[in-house]
Amino acid sequence: FVRCMLHSCYSSLILFFIPWAAMYDTVRDDGKDIADYQSFALLAQTCLLMAVNVQLCLDTHYWTAVNQFFVWGSLSAYFAITFTMYSNGMFLIFTSVFPFIGTARNSLNQPNVWLTILLTSILCVLPVVAFRFVLMQLRPTINDKVRYKMRKEAVPAPTPRRHPRKVSTRRSGYAFSHAQGYGELVTSGRFLLKRPTKSRSTLFSQVDSPLAK
Amino acid sequence: IAAMMASSYNAKEEDGHHSSGSSHGGAGAVKSKKPDNTAFKQQRLPAWQPILTAGTVLPAFFVIGLIFIPIGIGLYVTSNNIKEFEIDYTGAEVSSPCFNCAKNFSWNSTTSCNCSVPFTLEQPFESNVFMYYGLSNFYQNHRRYVKSRDDSQLNGDRSSLKNPSKECEPYRTSDGLPIAPCGAIANSLFNDTLELYYIHSNGSSTAIPLVKKGIAWWTDKHVKFRNPGGSNNNLTAAFQGTTKPVNWRKPVYELDPSDSDNNGFINEDFIVWMRTAALPTFRKLYRIIQKKPNMTPTLPSGKYLLEVTYNYPVHSFDGRKRMILSTISWMGGKNPFLGIAYITVGSVCFFLGVVLLIIHHKYDNRNNSADIPN
Repeated sequence: FVRCMLHSCYSSLILFFIPWAAMYDTVRDDGKDIADYQSFALLAQTCLLMAVNVQLCLDTHYWTAVNQFFVWGSLSAYFAITFTMYSNGMFLIFTSVFPFIGTARNSLNQPNVWLTILLTSILCVLPVVAFRFVLMQLRPTINDKVRYKMRKEAVPAPTPRRHPRKVSTRRSGYAFSHAQGYGELVTSGRFLLKRPTKSRSTLFSQVDSPLAK
Repeated sequence: IAAMMASSYNAKEEDGHHSSGSSHGGAGAVKSKKPDNTAFKQQRLPAWQPILTAGTVLPAFFVIGLIFIPIGIGLYVTSNNIKEFEIDYTGAEVSSPCFNCAKNFSWNSTTSCNCSVPFTLEQPFESNVFMYYGLSNFYQNHRRYVKSRDDSQLNGDRSSLKNPSKECEPYRTSDGLPIAPCGAIANSLFNDTLELYYIHSNGSSTAIPLVKKGIAWWTDKHVKFRNPGGSNNNLTAAFQGTTKPVNWRKPVYELDPSDSDNNGFINEDFIVWMRTAALPTFRKLYRIIQKKPNMTPTLPSGKYLLEVTYNYPVHSFDGRKRMILSTISWMGGKNPFLGIAYITVGSVCFFLGVVLLIIHHKYDNRNNSADIPN
């Protein structure tokens, strides 16, 4: 709980004070205003979104096409919606609801702003990465040890063509179809070892599921 | 047997159940509830798994450190090359030239108070020079203040002109007539006039030409703010039936009678003021000093005089007023923070990478011998 609290306090401070300091007495590259209320809000919002997305990418253990679609999709949807909300058309139709007209166009074309966003998201994520890495080195969990071993054993890649002849050994296709190399494990008789977690392999290729036929 | 093996990767299969030795004859009769044997539904999609190994994390730290430090240096050097000059003309101290104007301010005085503030520029300013007025301790980001405006009225909507929104209270009507432009933001428009004079060595002074257009955002000037009555040039008639804001000396259609493109709601000083600032200390663009066509500096070094028509009272809330002259670069005005931040983060990253490398070396050997408990 304390770790969560610390992480969130730290993130909140970064997400406010970095844009604040970057916008203090700053102007655009053609001299006009950028430190106004609406641009500052947009900057803080975008920083937050980027930081959250990067954190999400880190936490996703299993990247499929679906994951990719949703992460990049959500980022592009954010920008699409922002630009739509701040466009001329929306302002002219619903004047009082969308007063932020022109803000996205005028502030997101400043290199200053993008550098701030980059700095903020990296600064939010770096401690998490460092902390996890240190934990993995000093106190590896069983997951980590297994993954480490898997990487070592995956170097001599097992042949993908497996023809298990044992008809009676019925394995769940779901559990073992993820892993490459488990075929060996299973058929060598060590299948009785109970693996506490379903370790996923790093490399996936179209593997014949060692299903009994 | 070969047929059975080949069938396991068909796109759709009714029955995922594997029965040894049986034919497909009876399989099609019963519709099974098992999900299809496709890659998507059986979660066999090709995937990639990011693991935080030493091979990925340590280079990443070093690379980030190595990229950030040059960026930071570039930003810092650029910021240092920007020339900026700031002068406070509030008149709070007795020795200040504007002290009398500040002390004797009254709301209904018809004569304006003038004061002159001399200053010296050590270095010449090249290229376009931007003149800003800065205010301190002025909370333009107070919520009630920010909401106190009517954007439809400012967009030239005729019905909103005569009937401003309720958000503008108490600056909505005055003497029974609706106020145009309504609201507290418009009411507190900055109305000091600043002029610059260059003093030659022989004592004569020349006025420096100040450009008052091109200071507001393009979208603000051309889309957000429109005069009522469209492109009809007679603004006095267009604003018939409305009155000026309480604290203004002139009505809105007299903000710049000489230029119809800068009069009424589309007056650029007004637009710049209406773009509320985010922080209590802010600066707003006032005028632009264009660069000279030949190679002479725009503002040569030497003595200058700032003539102020002191109209804006800031004493009641301990605010300060200042005038800022600044050049501009690709990263905006003078702000060394981003440069320093990048350098700091880059070096911290690099240092952290080194520390993690040491930790990794020490403990990796321990891991190699560790065995997975059975």
